[in-house]
Amino acid sequence: MTASVRLEALNHWFGTFHALQDISLEINAGEYVTLLGPSGCGKTTLLSVLGGFIDPSQGTVFIGHADMTRVPPAKRPTTTMFQDYALFPHMNLRDNVAFGLRMAGVAKAERYRKADEKLDLVGLKADGAKRPHELSGGQRQRVALARALAVEPEVLLLDEPLGALDLKLRRAMQDELKDIQRQVGTTFVHVTHDQEEAMAISDRIVVMNAGRIEDQGPPSRIYREPASLFAADFMGEMNHIPAEVEASVAHTALATLPVATLPQGAATVCIRPEEIRQDGEGLALGQATVREATFFGTFTRAHVTPVSAPEMVLVAHLPPTDLPKPGAVLHLSVLPEDIRVFMKEIA
Amino acid sequence: MRMAAWLYLFLAFGFIYLPVGTLVLFSFQEGTLPVPPFNGPSLGWYADVLSDDDVTDALLHSLLVAIGSSATAVLFGFLAAYGLARHVLPGSALMRVLLIAPLTVSYLIVGLGLLIVLNRTGVGLSLITAGIGHVVINLPLAFAIIYASMGAQHENAERAARDLGASEAKVVLLVTAPMLAPALAAAFFLSVTLSWDEFIIAFLLTRFDITLPVEIWSMLRSGLSPRLNAIGSVVFLISVTAVLMLEFTVLRRRRS
Amino acid sequence: MNVATGTKLGWGFVAPALLWTLVFFVLPLLVMGAMSFATLEGRSLIWGFHLDNYIELATRAYLWRAILVSLEITLTVTVVSVVLAYPLAAIIAFRVPREWQRLALLLAILPFWTSYVVRSYAWLLVLAREGLVNQTLMNLGLIAEPITLANTRFATVTGFVHFFVMLLTLTIYANLVQLSPNYRRAAMDLGANAFQTFRHVILPLTLPGIATGAFLTFVLCIGDYVTPQVLGGNNELTIPQVIMVQLGRRADFPLASALAIVMMLIVTLAYLASARWLRLDRV
Repeated sequence: MTASVRLEALNHWFGTFHALQDISLEINAGEYVTLLGPSGCGKTTLLSVLGGFIDPSQGTVFIGHADMTRVPPAKRPTTTMFQDYALFPHMNLRDNVAFGLRMAGVAKAERYRKADEKLDLVGLKADGAKRPHELSGGQRQRVALARALAVEPEVLLLDEPLGALDLKLRRAMQDELKDIQRQVGTTFVHVTHDQEEAMAISDRIVVMNAGRIEDQGPPSRIYREPASLFAADFMGEMNHIPAEVEASVAHTALATLPVATLPQGAATVCIRPEEIRQDGEGLALGQATVREATFFGTFTRAHVTPVSAPEMVLVAHLPPTDLPKPGAVLHLSVLPEDIRVFMKEIA
Repeated sequence: MRMAAWLYLFLAFGFIYLPVGTLVLFSFQEGTLPVPPFNGPSLGWYADVLSDDDVTDALLHSLLVAIGSSATAVLFGFLAAYGLARHVLPGSALMRVLLIAPLTVSYLIVGLGLLIVLNRTGVGLSLITAGIGHVVINLPLAFAIIYASMGAQHENAERAARDLGASEAKVVLLVTAPMLAPALAAAFFLSVTLSWDEFIIAFLLTRFDITLPVEIWSMLRSGLSPRLNAIGSVVFLISVTAVLMLEFTVLRRRRS
Repeated sequence: MNVATGTKLGWGFVAPALLWTLVFFVLPLLVMGAMSFATLEGRSLIWGFHLDNYIELATRAYLWRAILVSLEITLTVTVVSVVLAYPLAAIIAFRVPREWQRLALLLAILPFWTSYVVRSYAWLLVLAREGLVNQTLMNLGLIAEPITLANTRFATVTGFVHFFVMLLTLTIYANLVQLSPNYRRAAMDLGANAFQTFRHVILPLTLPGIATGAFLTFVLCIGDYVTPQVLGGNNELTIPQVIMVQLGRRADFPLASALAIVMMLIVTLAYLASARWLRLDRV
């Protein structure tokens, strides 16, 4: 089962703290959407509003075109996967997974059959009789997923589900989650602060900061053409170069760069480390001295100081075979399409 | 459903405060019977009871026994907790069980046992014997509270002190005890409130000098009177003040 | 983890508490045990292994009835107190706003700090023939004559329940509040209403806490002298009352000791019976 989600002009206050500011969002049925942002940005609050655990101060929540703003969690076609899994410790796995079906009045044989189906889906078919404390963290998380899916929700809400797992396990679970979502077709809304995770699993990423949506779109678009400085900075690494915009050029300490028509004034030029080139292609950025270079497996990460701006430190990704010594001089350049400019926001 | 919950809360609180409310109300009774109708308010009974030497003596005795037995219980409990938490001793698990064991036995039995031994050995009953009984019931509590508060971070501070040349006694006095101040204070206050209110052990193990609960008991024998209401309200007030003091000083500080 | 700074020193620290417990707790219990097998001949105490006291306990109606009465009262009090306290604790834990919970709890247990003796006396006031309850019922026209409420088993049970409801509210609240709120949220999320959430999730998870509270109630109730003595009248006596009679009038230490031993046995049996629930089934 699956449904679309529409949030209209959501605002929520905790006391005087404006936790959600004018949130409007549309999610298509069957999409895997990630709410991405730092701690305190409001992503978990938004998820709680979606799940019915918080009544928003203002705004409307539509699930599948029906107004669900004040509908309690029990009656909403959503289920939530909690960060600490919240598996019932006194029940075995099968009873845990079948719980929602039992609440819906499904007969024992039927609900056990469905529960076993879901346990099979997450790869724990033979473990129905075990108790949660006998499982590892990763296994518990799968049971939590099975339990949430057993009631066939239209929207599945995941609250930082992979936070407690180690890196390898996390990567494996990301693939599994994506896989299961494709199989089941349910709309998934996934909260995380890990932008790599967001990029790995999402159809669409919604970047949030301080209660607002900064940017939303497919991972590749957000990475390559972020809509705001915050989004640019949050996704991967970014070099910040102060600039003055005048007519269609941005004056920086390194070079004067052509930019699309922008208002005049102070701005920040952003270039990704892997977009700083040494092959001379594109616009010249002048010479820079290497401060240090570290081997990172698939690339060499170098901190460089431009000759024309000795107080600045830029990060550049060089081919892994290059390992320049401190003091080496590089000639930097960048392709015009890899330059992003963001005007300084007047607070 | 929501209404039912608040109704239950209201009824429950009504039940809980019924006796205390009646007690305090009729302590201000103008008249000789602490029952309706209420005439008053009058402070006469308070004056009567607080000027009664037997009562004020008993109050003093209660304080002496409470503070004395609690101080002993906390001191011994602290030493034992330090000894068991910081040293590897054979049979320490058994010792812990033994030290906590008195908590599982009814006060009447503790008092009875001591009474029998004192009687057979010819030792007279006094505030001291009552105090001994109170240490028996408070020591396990003090030990348990302090033992539970001795954490790893305390141990590291002690190691650092030893490393810097402090002797064992200095470590205990200057590092361990001050760090455990909240637990020590909590154990002390808890012991005092328990001892202050304790009846049966004090009843069995005192003779001439008695504590306040025992004095109240003998007053009870003479029947219903607002005197009892007055003294009961005074006891209540003192206890509540002590508890609120504990809540707002020791516990608050621990949390911040 | 333990710093072995000399075992001798370690013993030195533990010694005072250990000695105190051995001399003033263990020794008296042992003497009392021995005393229960002693017998009185006139005024002289004869030590030895006599079963007279235990036989008397089993055969003399006055004595074994006291054991029965104690058990009946204690079990009634335990059940009623748990049933009344649980909803109160649950309401404070789940319905009262978080910032007010501590205050609500404190208010609920404040009467705890009236002296135990005084509190029983206060109930006597309330339940007496001229007391508040009777006066109110008569003023409301519900009864014509005052009914005997004090000096009855009802009064004893009421006095006990009053005390233990406060104690149990405290312990059950502490238990409820350390349950992760996500258990309730998950249950509700999966479609459970309030009652179902309670029955299938909250209750099973709090059962160990309830069992502990109930056991504590049982132990404290069965060993209490004050409440039945003040409120119960003298028609039926409990074990502690009978013990005190043996001590007072007859100075019959052996019989009193035997009664005490029997009381300890009952408590031990109660512990064994409830141990199944007391053991936390790995949460």
